[in-house]
Amino acid sequence: MQHSALTRGIIICHCCEKPASIKQDGQTCPRCGTHIHRRKRHSIAYTWALLLASMIMLIPANLLPIMTFKSLGKGDPATIMQGVLQLLEHDMLGIALVVLTASIIIPVLKVVGLIILLLTVQLGWTTNMRQKMLMYHFVEWIGRWSMLDIFVVAILAAIVQLGSLASVTGNTGATAFAAAVIFTMLAANCFDTRLIWDKHLEKLEVFP
Amino acid sequence: MTDRGLASTQPGKFWVCPECDLLMNRRAIPHQHEAHCPRCQSLIVSSKRHSIEWTLALGIAGLILFFPANLFPILTLTTLGLSQSETIFMSVTALYDSHLYAVSALVLMSAIVVPLMKLLLMTYLSGCLLFHKPAPLLSWAMRSYQQLDSWGMLEIYMLGILVSIVKLVDVADVTPGIGLYSLTGLIIVTLLTSTQLDRHRFWRRIEQLERR
Repeated sequence: MQHSALTRGIIICHCCEKPASIKQDGQTCPRCGTHIHRRKRHSIAYTWALLLASMIMLIPANLLPIMTFKSLGKGDPATIMQGVLQLLEHDMLGIALVVLTASIIIPVLKVVGLIILLLTVQLGWTTNMRQKMLMYHFVEWIGRWSMLDIFVVAILAAIVQLGSLASVTGNTGATAFAAAVIFTMLAANCFDTRLIWDKHLEKLEVFP
Repeated sequence: MTDRGLASTQPGKFWVCPECDLLMNRRAIPHQHEAHCPRCQSLIVSSKRHSIEWTLALGIAGLILFFPANLFPILTLTTLGLSQSETIFMSVTALYDSHLYAVSALVLMSAIVVPLMKLLLMTYLSGCLLFHKPAPLLSWAMRSYQQLDSWGMLEIYMLGILVSIVKLVDVADVTPGIGLYSLTGLIIVTLLTSTQLDRHRFWRRIEQLERR
């Protein structure tokens, strides 16, 4: 028999996972001092807001150039996609795939995954729960790896400073891209996975 | 429903899955074993042998490696007699010089400040727990560590270094420096710390110390 802790009158602290009685909802945790809530507060609204913000930032992130590679005075600002294409031209298929995955595929997958999770909660879907948990863990884990392109720009801008021979500078697209990554990471943090299971448990407990 | 009353009066006798809210009876977990939620498969407890000793040792090792990783050049680029070296902090200043102030602050945080903070917090915390010293800010340290955890991005910085090396192969000679080797060690130490850390044990010990 499966029980949800909330319907048995138990809640846990988000920070240190100490169980507490439901009467302590809103009070501070005696162990770690954070406020205990039965579920993360305004989880759905915050997640949607941050997700929308990151979707908006993804547009300039992909359209604006993120860096300029100048060699012997020649070279134009390049967007993320142009950077990937340049790698392909130089026959670096493997590294082009890594950059493409980290900078374009993962951000899009993260946004789609979080939208599916939000709709699951809001429309009360109760199928494939384990897959949805796996999807959440994947989105949460993979989020940071999108920062790859930002670090590449940072490293190249620091090391390729050979005057007129070769130089690299960062461009504004990098700010938009970094913002998009940060917003999706925060959105994944705000999402409370227990909301996915709440409906499922209600059904189980009403019809045991 | 007799367990309803029992559950709410004795919350300490139960485990609650933090991911799906499943209520379970609490039981002892042998060392080096993990308990997963039977319903959503999330990790609930991971019991490590000598978790506190390991964390302290890794924290000190990390602090020792942190300085060469940041002070010595990571990569050196040479072409036609010109050469340029790079440290992590120089990648922060290079972004600042490109007028990308927010991004340079983000790189400063995720590649230098957060990894250092995490090492300092863990060394302080596991040192106090190991010697049973009731010290101020123990629960604050643990809380901050948990919040900072996903914002330290040294391993991604490392992947960035590898991508940069490949990108520069055609342009010039790239040679790794002492910084790169120290950084590799630092990343291994950081990853080991997060696998050796038994969060539940740390929180229980903090609770015992702060009650005195």
